[in-house]
Parts: sequence; structure tokens; C-alpha cells
Amino acid sequence: MSEAQRKYLKKRKIRIVITHLFRICLLAAFIGGWELIARYNVVDPFIISSPSRIVRIIGTLDRSGELNKHVIASLYETIAGFLIATAAGSVFAIILWWSDLLRDVLEPYIITLNSLPKIALGPIIIVWMGIGKPAIIFMAVLICIIITIISMLSGFCSVDKEKIMLLKSMHANKFKILTKLILPANIPTLISVLKINVGLSWVGSIIGEYLSSREGLGYLIVYGSQIFQLDLVMASTVILCVLAGGMYAAVAILEKIVRKKFGQ
Amino acid sequence: MTLLELKDVCFSYHSKDAETTAVDNVSFTVDEGEFVGIIGPSGCGKTTILNLLAGIYSPASGTILLNGKKVSESTSKIGLMPQRDQLFPWRTIESNVLLGPEVLGKRNRETKKYALLLLRKYGLGDFIKKYPSELSGGMRQRSALIRTLVLKPDILLLDEPFSALDFQTRIVVCDDVHSIIKQEKKTAVIVSHDINECVSLCDKIIVLTKRPAHVLEIIRIDLNKTMSPLKRRESQAFPEYFKKIWKLLEDKNERSTTKISEKT
Repeated sequence: MSEAQRKYLKKRKIRIVITHLFRICLLAAFIGGWELIARYNVVDPFIISSPSRIVRIIGTLDRSGELNKHVIASLYETIAGFLIATAAGSVFAIILWWSDLLRDVLEPYIITLNSLPKIALGPIIIVWMGIGKPAIIFMAVLICIIITIISMLSGFCSVDKEKIMLLKSMHANKFKILTKLILPANIPTLISVLKINVGLSWVGSIIGEYLSSREGLGYLIVYGSQIFQLDLVMASTVILCVLAGGMYAAVAILEKIVRKKFGQ
Repeated sequence: MTLLELKDVCFSYHSKDAETTAVDNVSFTVDEGEFVGIIGPSGCGKTTILNLLAGIYSPASGTILLNGKKVSESTSKIGLMPQRDQLFPWRTIESNVLLGPEVLGKRNRETKKYALLLLRKYGLGDFIKKYPSELSGGMRQRSALIRTLVLKPDILLLDEPFSALDFQTRIVVCDDVHSIIKQEKKTAVIVSHDINECVSLCDKIIVLTKRPAHVLEIIRIDLNKTMSPLKRRESQAFPEYFKKIWKLLEDKNERSTTKISEKT
């Protein structure tokens, strides 16, 4: 290894360490500042809560078994919505790729549904499906599925025409073109859709819980704000941050594995 | 023996605004073992002719006979080598080369053995398990050629197979491809707009006019057939052929430019 290369690697390493250091500092400053502002009553902790209060209330929730119940409920709804929307959206995209007539027919409807704020359908969903998990999961699916269809379909349609010609010259039928080319070529599209859907499925499940639920983090947030217990609201939000971040990290790990396997 | 015969072939593209005639009454024949070049100004409909030969498009009128049968009904196989190598990045070289048999449901020990034999014979033995991104442009092009050879085609169709390579690689790969095709005793049709390339490779050159393409002249190249394209470039008669084709293409272009100036 040359001196210049060694220097470069060292510089790079320092840069990474500094980045991490700043990240930790930023978080520590935020938490510390928050705690101080609350403790010395610069702003009333009744309104902004404080890190130590949040830790305390999470402890209380955990001991009573409430924490598990709410976390599991939200996770269940979110992951179910996430998986159903991704799977069903991909299947829809395949059907639309297959039939260009159907694609042309449905295009204006899909565009309209995409621009429609899905939250507006909340009350209808509750009337139709009642209060409970199915309605919340449906909300999450509704929010994710349209963008899944649109992204996957545009991925399918942007596959190199010359590759399709190549397969046709080998007498490949449409099904073979789909399985040998279109689907494997769009693994990266699927991964980016998964990343988008992590965020959107949380939006769906939390909004669903706002509208109608007896458990879950969204319920805790609404309940906490109604009884003016900001500690509970903040604690739920913090837990939400951790869970959403964890889910995104899981997708990122999946992406690494897939990229390795597909040699891209 | 005549392997491929085109008789008064016409083809048009249809769009909302216009009907564009791309191929107009094209007739020529390709004998077994022959290397035939199709040359013409870019955008003249050369690739359309290849797609017609490959059976991907059907002629609007006229017939294309392969081994005495219509291309669409013929059991004779056609190997298409596209402009860029179009190797699938998620497949290893071995798996890429076996794409054809896989599509036809003929991926078995026999086809695999043949594919490995070809890969080893043409110097890709050490790269069987590598991904296309790990290979040089020339090697990728060779892999693409082997991918078509694995199907044991009666005729090879090459669509400007060297246009994506830099000048030096281009000449080397051209020699490479020529020697492989000769060794495997294949008949080949190459589409190109590079006069030098065509003269150095082909036994016969079909010169096309601007769109709509029709045959301007068929030129027989009487250069030593056992020589490599690079060697043929050095032979005495080579510049004569170049000049002749150049003149043909130029005359035609001039005539069309005068036509335009008359109009304006």
C-alpha cells in the first residue's frame, strides 16, 4: 500500500469517526437541553414533558404490561399492512404490465386515487369494517398500495427493450419474459418500494389508530393528549421512532443480502 | 445452397400521426456459410430488417423464407446478437449463456456441457462464475456471442455488435467474433453503418438507401476468405471496395439533399 493510499484511508476513517461523534453529540445536546429546559422550568414541563419523565413513564408502562400490548398491536397492524400492500401492489402491477389495454383503461383511476388523500376515506372504512384491527390494516394497505403499483409498473415498463427483443428471438413467451427478465430486473425497484412503504405503512396504522382503536401507539398518543398527559404522548412518539427506525434498518439489511445475491 | 431468402419484403410502422414505410421491396438471399453485411445510412431501417429476419416482426407484404419455410413457421433457429451485449447483470456468465436453453425449457446436462465447452474453447473458462460487471467489454461481447451459439442456430443475426466498444477493442473483438463464427461454421448476417467493418468481415454486402430502405446494390467481396478481418483491411483491394460503397452511399445522400434544396 502506498503512502498516499494509507493517508487517504486514514483521512476517511477520521471522517467516519467524526460523523458518528457529531451524531451522538447532536442527540445528547438535544436530550440534555430538553431536560435542562424542563428541569429549570424555562418552559413548563407539563407542555413539553422531559426525557427523565419519558423514561419513567416507559418504565411504568413496561411494568404493567401495557407497553408490550400497545407495541405489539401497532407492529402487527403496520407489518401486516406493509406486507399485504407490497404483495398485492406488485401483483396488480404485474397484471397491468401484462395487459396494456387494462393499463390504459385504469390509468386515470389510478392517478386519481394516487392524488386522493387516503385519510379522507377513514370514516368510510370505519363504517364498513367497524372498529378494530382489520380497519386499521386496511387503512395502511390503502396508503401504500397505489404508490407500490405505480412504482413497480414504471419499473416493469422501463426494462431495456433490446433485452425483450433478445428473449423474443429465443422464442420466449410473455410468461418467460416476466419471470426471466422483468421480475429479476426489478428487484432494486422492489427494495426502494419497500423503503417507501416502511414509512407509509406507519402513517396508515397510526392514522387508523387515531380514528378508531383501543390499543396501539396511535391510541396512546391520542389518549395522552386528551387527558393532557404529554409524558405519555412523548413516550409513545419516542417508541414509534425506535420501531420505525428498526423496521427501516431491517429493510436495509435485506437490501444488502439481495444485492450480494444478485451481484449488483 | 440458399439458406435465407427475402422476396419483395415491405414493412411499415404505424403511429397516430403517420404511417412510416421503413422497408420497401427488399429482396436478397443468404447462402449457407456466407457472411452477409447490410449497410446503409443510420436510421434507414437496418435493425427493422434484422427484427423481420428474427421473426419478431412480420412483413406487411412479401416473404421471408428460412430453409424454404416462412420464418414464423420454420423450425430453424435464429440467434440474435443485440447492439449492446445485454447480458443480465444478476446472472453469472454461465447462467447468462444458458438463458436460451432455459427459455426453451431445454436446460439440461447436455446443453450445459456444450455451453461450458464453448466458454472454455473461447477463453472464458475462468470467468464462468463471474458476473458481467467483472468482465471487460470484449469478453462480454464474446459471452453474448456464445449465448447465441449455445442454441445451435442455423443463422446468426448481429445488430451492430461492436458499436458500443471503443475503437481498439472494436477491431480486436471483430477479429474474435469473425474467427468464432468461422470456426463454428455459422452463417451470419451483420447490420452495420461502418463500411470498413463490413468490407473486412463480409462475403457479400447489401447496400441500402435511406428510409424507406430498398436495396441499392449488392456487392460481392472477393477478398481472401481465410484471412482475419484485420488482415483483410491491409489487402490491396480493400480501399477499392471502401470507395465503391462510400460513393454509393454518398451519391444517394447528395441526391436527397438536392431534392430538399429544390423544395426550399
